[in-house]
Amino acid sequence: MSKLTLSVYFSFAASVALAQPPVAPSPTPAGSAEGQDTGLYNIVNSSELGYRFHTVGGSLNQYRSTVNYGNGIRLLSGSTLVTSKDGHGKLFDQISLTTLGLGNDPYESTSLRIERNRTYRYDMTWRQNDYFNPGLVSNGGVSFHTADTTYGMQDHNFTLFPQSKYKFFMGYTGSAQQGPAYTTENGRPGIQLVDVRRRWNEYRIGNEFQIAGIRVNWMRGWEDFKEDNGFNRAPGGVPGFPQTANATLLALTKADPYHGTNPYWRVAIFDTLGKTFNWNGRFTYTAGRRAFVLDESFLTAAGNATTTTRVINTGDAQRPVATGNLNLVFTPTSKLNISNGTALYNSRTQGNDTFVQVSPGAPTRIVTYNYLGVRTLSNDTTLNYQWTKMVGMFATYHYSDRYIASREVTDNALIPAQQTDILNATQFGFRLRPVQALTVQLSGEVGRSNRPFTPVAPRNYNAINGRIQYRVKSFQVLATTNTDYNNNSVNIASYASHSRRYAADGSWNPRSWFSLDAGYSKMHLDTSGGIAYRVSPPAGTLITGERSLYFSNLHTIYSGIRFTVKDRIEIYAGLTRVEDKGDGRATAAGPAIGSPRAIFEVVQTYPLTFQSPVGRVSVKINNKLRWNAGYQYYGYRQEFNLNPNLNYQANTGYTSLSYSF
Amino acid sequence: MKDFGGNVWGKCGFILGFLLLCASFAHAQEKAKTLVSAASTNKFVGSVACKGCHAEMWNNFYKNPHNKSVVSGKEAPENTGCEGCHGPGNNHIESFGAAGSIVSFTKMPKEQVIDTCVKCHSQTLSRANIRRSSHTLNGIVCTNCHSVHSAATPTKLLAKTQTTLCEGCHLNVRAQFSMPFKHRVNEGFMNCTDCHNPHGSFQPTWANGARPRHVETAKANEEPCMNCHADKRGPFVFEHAPMRVDGCMACHVPHGSANSRMLTRPVVFTLCLECHNGAGNMGRRGDGVHVQRPTPHNMASPVYQGCPNCHVKIHGSNTEQKFFR
Repeated sequence: MSKLTLSVYFSFAASVALAQPPVAPSPTPAGSAEGQDTGLYNIVNSSELGYRFHTVGGSLNQYRSTVNYGNGIRLLSGSTLVTSKDGHGKLFDQISLTTLGLGNDPYESTSLRIERNRTYRYDMTWRQNDYFNPGLVSNGGVSFHTADTTYGMQDHNFTLFPQSKYKFFMGYTGSAQQGPAYTTENGRPGIQLVDVRRRWNEYRIGNEFQIAGIRVNWMRGWEDFKEDNGFNRAPGGVPGFPQTANATLLALTKADPYHGTNPYWRVAIFDTLGKTFNWNGRFTYTAGRRAFVLDESFLTAAGNATTTTRVINTGDAQRPVATGNLNLVFTPTSKLNISNGTALYNSRTQGNDTFVQVSPGAPTRIVTYNYLGVRTLSNDTTLNYQWTKMVGMFATYHYSDRYIASREVTDNALIPAQQTDILNATQFGFRLRPVQALTVQLSGEVGRSNRPFTPVAPRNYNAINGRIQYRVKSFQVLATTNTDYNNNSVNIASYASHSRRYAADGSWNPRSWFSLDAGYSKMHLDTSGGIAYRVSPPAGTLITGERSLYFSNLHTIYSGIRFTVKDRIEIYAGLTRVEDKGDGRATAAGPAIGSPRAIFEVVQTYPLTFQSPVGRVSVKINNKLRWNAGYQYYGYRQEFNLNPNLNYQANTGYTSLSYSF
Repeated sequence: MKDFGGNVWGKCGFILGFLLLCASFAHAQEKAKTLVSAASTNKFVGSVACKGCHAEMWNNFYKNPHNKSVVSGKEAPENTGCEGCHGPGNNHIESFGAAGSIVSFTKMPKEQVIDTCVKCHSQTLSRANIRRSSHTLNGIVCTNCHSVHSAATPTKLLAKTQTTLCEGCHLNVRAQFSMPFKHRVNEGFMNCTDCHNPHGSFQPTWANGARPRHVETAKANEEPCMNCHADKRGPFVFEHAPMRVDGCMACHVPHGSANSRMLTRPVVFTLCLECHNGAGNMGRRGDGVHVQRPTPHNMASPVYQGCPNCHVKIHGSNTEQKFFR
């Protein structure tokens, strides 16, 4: 094989291994970042305007849920930096504006910073996400929950005197989700069309000052949340849904407003300047409260009879939360670092719910009270010692005490309960640096929890982490390994999970016109958990003593190669491929292990392939203008391909002009 | 619920007072050291003197946030411009740029890099934990991610884009963001720092306060997930207790997953049933997480395999103990 053939083959092999972000926007700016001088300011600008296109074969819903790029003209990216040359601008000294995907991309964002030295700084971010949830359920399940909503979020922060010892903060954060959705509710024979209207607003003020060398930062915030979804009965029923055989929903009227506020205080004191002793502390208190009303009326038919049912729920819920942190860092010598952290979390969620059924029949009224309190006190101490330049080590001990109190009203009986979970965990590791370019790290962790809250939570666990990195100027190789084993066995059912992850990555940038990046990752997970469930006939039969198994062997490869021809044409090719090989079975029906019931066997593993090759070319037209074009393929394939068929193949691409000065 | 008694608060107050005293003393000592260091034989010459040899760097320095120290005119020489980071430049000039005559970050011990940067950048709460962060303890310091003179980003002076920097070391995370269902980080819609604080964070308040590390609390004391998923926060009269106790990761993989809705299992009913198996002393009542009621559940029917079809408000409900509405 000639050298040329070999190099082409090598490049191809690398390029078919991976790729990372979406093909557009193009990462290469059109020109240099020198900018243009305008009066007292310098302006650097870069923007890319282009056209996206796509075609989809197979499940369009799955494509919209996972990728969602559409057709049309977009301002794919934009960046503007205005800087005063003498640092004494009249109104501002710097404006930095960056944009992404404006013009109807599913992921749009803008960030803006305006500042005047020593006087003020204003930061703003805005994001909008076209969120599409087609109610997908893997492996042939059924879901009646869909959404085609828009989620928008904006964040504003204003700092007065940002370089002073006395700073003042003001801020606003708001988010809103709106759009149509389908949902089911309360086991009724029908689905509802929901006009989703959710809004969250937060206003905050704060201050930071220094006293006796200690910085104090406080903030007072007010959060408001409201949800006023509108409901309508959607046409058609749901086959197989509860009560369908007995009743049909004819009409539905529902109002379900849900409003509340979370005023909070946050006070922090910290000192990071000291080289031998640092400490910080933080205290927060939030007085969360929500109030709600549900007024619902529905007409159902069973046989020839119709029934109108009207229920009203009212009530409120409170959750005061207090947290405290105290961290100490002691560095007696440049080789030794001892840190200790203590955290306290105390929350009490409680609320009343009054349920009144107005009709049919005589009104009935049920008052329910519910309380859940969680208090966690945790402490960890880490000792880090750099023995020599080549050898360092660390050890950590973590202790936590979590107390949970509960009071529930169920079937008109008050059920109080309380429990305490104590976790002891230790971690030990060392670092080696035999030569300047080589770093080796290895650590292990063992933890014991005496009363985890759920059967799948960590109980007796151990973890081993390793990392080796070799790095010279233009070449880097990194490999990591992590194993996490957990055994949460109790007398009736057991749960065990084994997670092993291996990854390796190499990058080589020998010249400014050539770079290569390739990596591989394997994530193995197997879990076994005891299950109990009901089947019929006969109705309500409880099956116990079986296990739910899950096997996943996820292989991910990614690679990218970039080269530039005569400083004018830049070409990039790459590929990402994710493949879950499951447990190796050829069909959905698995071997007779775990639960013998077919529905459990076919979900023990979930082999799939998701791949995305990408190619991009960018041609420099002049010092300010570039033409770009790219293509990216998305292929999603479930190997067992159960109903509904969620597989898709999508061809996406773009062409654009980048302009910068 | 048992709370701390007044005696414990008194002890805490005493300890806090003692720490404040120690901190004030330590701070005074550090300040004295700084003053002694500044009075060494080498002299400050001002940033303009650097222009002669480092013209290209100087000509663009006005775009650099560190130029604020120059235009301020009120900073001490050891906190101003080039010499604010590289130390006094007189010896460097007199020796015509001899190696070792000026502070070089590439040759500086890692702990010294942090000392130099926090000299000014300690005045921000988000960096309060930098001395105890696992990045610092593992030798990852400021210059591993930030490039003062050749930054790839206009703000924060990152050496590469944030995603590239983080995924460059966290390979498993990079793989997770390649999954079909993931948060839109590679798409540029989100950043790692929306949820994480690379400079070190306060201990998490959920689970047992142990893991994960470097995750920033949101809304004063919540998981960062609640920054966007505000409708899941509550409080609800009927909380799904694991969410409050163990956090969102009890059911979800936050970076990315091969399973829809970033769940830890491909189908939801195995996720639910592995907890709701009545085993041991689990759950809020300590008598095992409840198994399905006799009616109407029938796992042989596809409708019942989608648990949230009926248990709609699975994250928490105001009106239904079983999260029906």
